Amino acid sequence: MATAESTALIDVGILFGAVALAGLVANRINQSVIPFYILVGMLLSEYVVGRVDFPALLGTDSIPHGSDLALANTDFVHVSAEIGIVLLLFFLGLEFNLDRLIASKERIGKAGTVDLAINFGAGLLLGYALFGSFLAAFLTAGIVYISSSAIITKSLIDLGWIANDESDAMLGSLVFEDLFIAVYLAVATALVLGGGAVGEALGRIGVAVGFILVLLLLVYLGTEWFQRSLETDSHEFIVLRALGITVLLSGFALSIGVSEAVAAFFVGMAFSSTEHVHDLENLLEPLRDAFAAIFFFWIGLSTDPSLFLGVAGLIAVAAVATTPTKLLSGYLGGRIYDLSERRSVRVGLGMTTRGEFSLIIASLALSGAGTALPEPIARDVYAFAVGYVLVMSVVGTTLMQYSSTIESVVVPRLEAGIGSASPSSDD
Amino acid sequence: MTVYESDLPGVGKKFEVELEDGERLVIVTHNTGKREVYLKANPDADGDKLFEVSDRLARKIGTILEGAYFQPVQAEAVETMLSDDTYLEWYNVSESAEIAGQTLEEADIRNRTGVSIVAIQRGGDLISPPTPETVLEVDDTLVVIGEREECAEFETLLGDEV
Repeated sequence: MATAESTALIDVGILFGAVALAGLVANRINQSVIPFYILVGMLLSEYVVGRVDFPALLGTDSIPHGSDLALANTDFVHVSAEIGIVLLLFFLGLEFNLDRLIASKERIGKAGTVDLAINFGAGLLLGYALFGSFLAAFLTAGIVYISSSAIITKSLIDLGWIANDESDAMLGSLVFEDLFIAVYLAVATALVLGGGAVGEALGRIGVAVGFILVLLLLVYLGTEWFQRSLETDSHEFIVLRALGITVLLSGFALSIGVSEAVAAFFVGMAFSSTEHVHDLENLLEPLRDAFAAIFFFWIGLSTDPSLFLGVAGLIAVAAVATTPTKLLSGYLGGRIYDLSERRSVRVGLGMTTRGEFSLIIASLALSGAGTALPEPIARDVYAFAVGYVLVMSVVGTTLMQYSSTIESVVVPRLEAGIGSASPSSDD
Repeated sequence: MTVYESDLPGVGKKFEVELEDGERLVIVTHNTGKREVYLKANPDADGDKLFEVSDRLARKIGTILEGAYFQPVQAEAVETMLSDDTYLEWYNVSESAEIAGQTLEEADIRNRTGVSIVAIQRGGDLISPPTPETVLEVDDTLVVIGEREECAEFETLLGDEV
């Protein structure tokens, strides 16, 4: 019988092999990789492979069965997934240039506020209707609000929309969402880790806000230090130092009850004003992608698909309710950017994809199981979020792929409607 | 002509160049350095992707478009092989070339390297065959014949090591 130690390496090998294969399949059929990473994780979990009794099926004892066959949810997988979260947010921070944001604050602010009001608002209502508690509603609101920067950006490039005017409106709204989600995660983490008690949650929010202020101060005053910290010709040293600083600060944040993701975001922001941005992007991108893939895999590994049965109705309701809200907010965002009817519709179609950040919120919900959230509700929110992301990532990428068909149906009607109301409004 | 520039957070930068007849050339510079070039039939049309190139190639294409590109024939890039091991090559005399400013006699190229300079292209003129008194000037293009080894040897005299 193999010991845990002797199978650790082969487990990690299976993990990477499975993720690589999932990526290949997703690529072949022109879909986003994220749902496939999750699905393959689910497939190899104790809940799926672990429940299959091969020996009984084949009448032999030589094949391991049950939990022996499933990939264990080890510390390695969990910590790698955490690093994936940290690197995802680190990159957001890195891309987040305050000057650029201020330069186009008006449009981004307007389009972003419309997006926030419609989708976060709808999420709050929906979450409260589905789960009946404020915290669950708050988490649901985050889950349905935040579009997937990773999937949408990649689709923009793949479809060639990146050269078109709609890319400005979409990327602008994503920036607003990303900034909001950094603050949101700080508050949500405090609420979840605060165990649900108002007093303690407030205390933790205080700590979180304090920590963010310290980080902001660090970002503001420490540019020179961050600049010097990576002053080396060796790629090896740049990667090691960047990881050292980022993971350590994120870990420290988590240890005092502040979201590691938020800390990573601010560390990324600190590096964004140094001259190393380009190097960091080039050198850390493959690392981010590898660890993010483990994160999605881990999400699958921790998901019992049979729980989907219980929340399938909720997922369906949410998908039906929140696809139109994104279509609407995207359309309005496009109009704020002075885009034509057709392009505004396209912004809406493009923004419906939800992905990585919804899953980060889901993992946060899970960590509050039994304390801030009653165990069954936490499990439901988690299963709901994973199922919802699976559905919405496929719906979103499909809507984008078939946008020209949809546009040809929708746009003439919109133009007819608007045209009769105010003939000159179309561009 | 107007050039519109916009940021693409998470991707890079986008430049839109107004061409004639309302066409637009769209250049997306990715953070990775990759460039994608699109053409739009009019400002409101979807972009048709023309091509994508690496950072290095993009810079080279850029200098050609600018009309500033003058780096005649790199040895590796274009070489004409006459027989098994005999090459006919073109070299540019750069500022840093050791032999710049010397006459062919002073430079003593045949004895030092084995190659023969069969012609010199200078501006629009062709000096063929050059005499021992011919002075090698910066920006001359030398047409050289010799064996592979000898050509390599000659390149060291030009100062642009490969």
